[in-house]
Amino acid sequence: MNQDQLPQNLRNKDKDEVLFSVRTDLLSDGSFGEQWLTVTAQEVAVWGQEEAPNVRLPIVKVKDARAAGAIGGGMLVADTQDGPVVVARYTAAQTSTFSFAAKLISALAKQEELPVVSERDIPRTCPSCGNPLLDGTKVCPFCMQSSKLAARMLRYAKPYKMQMGFAALLLIMTSVVELAPPYLTKVIIDDVLQTKDMGSTLLLLILGLGVTMLLQSAMQTIRGLIGVWVGSKLMGDLRKDIYKSLMRLSLSYFDRRQTSQFIGRVNGDAEAMRQFMTDGVTYLSGEVLRIVAIFIIIFSLDWKLSLFALLPVPVMVIVSMTIWPKIERRWYQQWRSTFRLNTLVGDALQGIRVVKAFGREREETTRYEEANGVVVRNNIRMEGLWQFVFPIFGFVAGIGTLLIWYYGGRNVLHDRMQLGELMALIAYLGMLFGPLQWISQMISWANSAMASAHRVFEIMDTPSEVPDTHDPVPLGVIKGDVSFEHVTYGYEKHHPVLKDVNLQVKAGEMIGLVGHSGAGKSTFINLICRFYDSDEGTVRIDGVSIRDISQSDLRRQVGVVLQETFLFDGTIADNIAYSKSDATPEEIMRAAKIANAHDFIVRLPDGYDTRVGERGHKLSGGEKQRVAIARAIIHDPRILILDEATASVDTETERQIQEAISRLVQGRTTFAIAHRLSTLRNADRLVVLDRGKIVEVGTHEELLSKEAGVYRKLVDAQRELSQIKGVEG
Amino acid sequence: MADKYDIRMLSPDDVYFSRGNGGVLQGVVDGQPYDELIIYRAFPFRYTDSYISIRNAKDEELGIVKEIHELNEESAEELTKELQFRYFLPRVTRVDSVKFKSDLWLWELQTHLGPTRMAMRNLHEHLQYPGGGRVILTDMHGKRCEIPDWQALDAHSRRQLEEVL
Repeated sequence: MNQDQLPQNLRNKDKDEVLFSVRTDLLSDGSFGEQWLTVTAQEVAVWGQEEAPNVRLPIVKVKDARAAGAIGGGMLVADTQDGPVVVARYTAAQTSTFSFAAKLISALAKQEELPVVSERDIPRTCPSCGNPLLDGTKVCPFCMQSSKLAARMLRYAKPYKMQMGFAALLLIMTSVVELAPPYLTKVIIDDVLQTKDMGSTLLLLILGLGVTMLLQSAMQTIRGLIGVWVGSKLMGDLRKDIYKSLMRLSLSYFDRRQTSQFIGRVNGDAEAMRQFMTDGVTYLSGEVLRIVAIFIIIFSLDWKLSLFALLPVPVMVIVSMTIWPKIERRWYQQWRSTFRLNTLVGDALQGIRVVKAFGREREETTRYEEANGVVVRNNIRMEGLWQFVFPIFGFVAGIGTLLIWYYGGRNVLHDRMQLGELMALIAYLGMLFGPLQWISQMISWANSAMASAHRVFEIMDTPSEVPDTHDPVPLGVIKGDVSFEHVTYGYEKHHPVLKDVNLQVKAGEMIGLVGHSGAGKSTFINLICRFYDSDEGTVRIDGVSIRDISQSDLRRQVGVVLQETFLFDGTIADNIAYSKSDATPEEIMRAAKIANAHDFIVRLPDGYDTRVGERGHKLSGGEKQRVAIARAIIHDPRILILDEATASVDTETERQIQEAISRLVQGRTTFAIAHRLSTLRNADRLVVLDRGKIVEVGTHEELLSKEAGVYRKLVDAQRELSQIKGVEG
Repeated sequence: MADKYDIRMLSPDDVYFSRGNGGVLQGVVDGQPYDELIIYRAFPFRYTDSYISIRNAKDEELGIVKEIHELNEESAEELTKELQFRYFLPRVTRVDSVKFKSDLWLWELQTHLGPTRMAMRNLHEHLQYPGGGRVILTDMHGKRCEIPDWQALDAHSRRQLEEVL
């Protein structure tokens, strides 16, 4: 249901049934403001505050409608007999809604079947506050209490509640024991030293002091050990969860981000959260406990004097309340500048070849220096604030002590109070202001932990854009029929890369995908792999929509050999058996043999145990490619995808790979993209894509016979190119 | 014959822009009338009023207008207006508040096109600094606002921004 209900006064104006209504956030002149778009079977109208609509367009005059996307917004355009008409303008937040409106109007105009509103067409907003809801969550971030963040964080501590409980018990005991010495001192001064008798009691009291000190140290040690143990476990759990979330996210999440940032996040943020949960929480509860106990004791000693001790407390609270948000923001600011610096280093080092090749070392250094300067500046600002914090707290606390010294001292002079009592009071006060100062340390802990938790949960909460269905259709072994039905997809929703693609592929067929770069070939196969979900239309395998198949099932059926072969750190055997970890050595060798890789692997000094990947042996492009093909063979997929599998290798290697591929494609539905059209000779059908649309389908010969066909042009262009190469060679 | 692979720079006499009855930008390019024209900024950040790509409804480039102000008055005005529509980038005149609440950064802004609010999940992915004191804000839905020079804003706004930029 649309959250933005059409106002009642508008609803009554139209006698016809309103098929669809939506509130725009822009006026016709492009400034912010509200208007309503209503669509009935007879007309399209836009209503402002006035009685009469601002735009009124009878459907009979409309030929077609479209949502023309622009930057940061867009417009709904209707093509009429008198030329195009701008119906309404909107900001980017409403792009999907107006795309639907355009489809609806277009269907009405062409008298086609009307589209149905799906949830994805309407941006979801919170019913109580109107702020946007994130995809895949029903919890409004505004109406949710911020304490939930902390609660959620503490949930990680749950499995260790026994140990944590024990640590808490020790903490309570240490706090109590810590409070004993000043009291014992008071007794020593007032009852023993002042009266100058009871020599044996002195020894006893001193013994008592010694025991408390010993107890204190012992309990602190044990508590520390538990903290370390629980902390390390917690940290492990957190890191595991974050990594799992990263793996779960869809490709499009990574497309939009620099990957180098994740490494820092996974480690740094988990550490900050752990610190808060183990040290932070125990300290906090311990200090609170101690403050309460101290209050009880000093009030029972002398309540009037204790009131002086209370004076600085509200000041301290106010200071920490104003400083808190400031610190939080500067912390984040500092984090951002450090983050930018790290990204810069990551980028420059990854692209070090380019940097060297163009001789840009000096410019890179300058760029680094600038970012570095920002970090330094932010660091000084942040730390500067810190330097300010402690002396202020210290000063405020000092004033309280001064007051007690003055009034307590006078009381002692007038014999209204004993010296030992005053000493004890001052000692307790020192202990009271200690934790109050520590609370600012707590603030910093809590801050960095909350910021980290916020970022970590951001990753965990980001919904996968290709969610697994709740009740997947069991596939078993598939035949391999693949069909595309009116599939439209764009990496940016308003900018489709594939437009209304229809294709039926029979099991075992080999399809060659041909087209200029950017025509949508790679997108086409990305959709079969379900790296992304189509915006409109469905991809079906054996007649089952790809969305209804569980992803693990799907991956089992689809094998991929990509243009950029990525080998993981490990042996060649590990890499071949990547998708089938229980593969026997024979299976591995057999797969390698089919992939024309066996011979070169055996010739390597370490054979199948050769380490490859970042730190290992460097294989050539062709060798890597053949290992990747072996990886696909052992996977034994029903559907095979070859994305430029033979790009960037020499002709001889290409021949070998070709050979391997021709063995691989036997009996499998295959989609192949190749830059060199000659490699697609064996394809049963060629599909020519141009600007996201299928323009030609047929065999090599059929397509070649078309005089002005796109394929023929491509072939001619390549032939020309290879002739030039031939002359050069 | 003009080279297909050369950039066609349109001189002020080659083009004439106007607005159709339906509110769509139309015009005459090289003597050929078009009832719908699409325009792009080639350098949206660096040159906002220069190097405008003029395209037909099929999104094929007809040419590039180098300087808008060199065109005749009506054309320049319509082109500027269309740029404002297409590049919906309200200029921030005042920052009322920047709050971090429950996982979202909320911005209350006054722009030259009226008041608006933006919501971002974080700052490091939603703020861009093209240079100078310029800041481009992009919210979760892709809505954008521009602060031409944050140092030039009033004291209240600067105070709000100091902690977040």
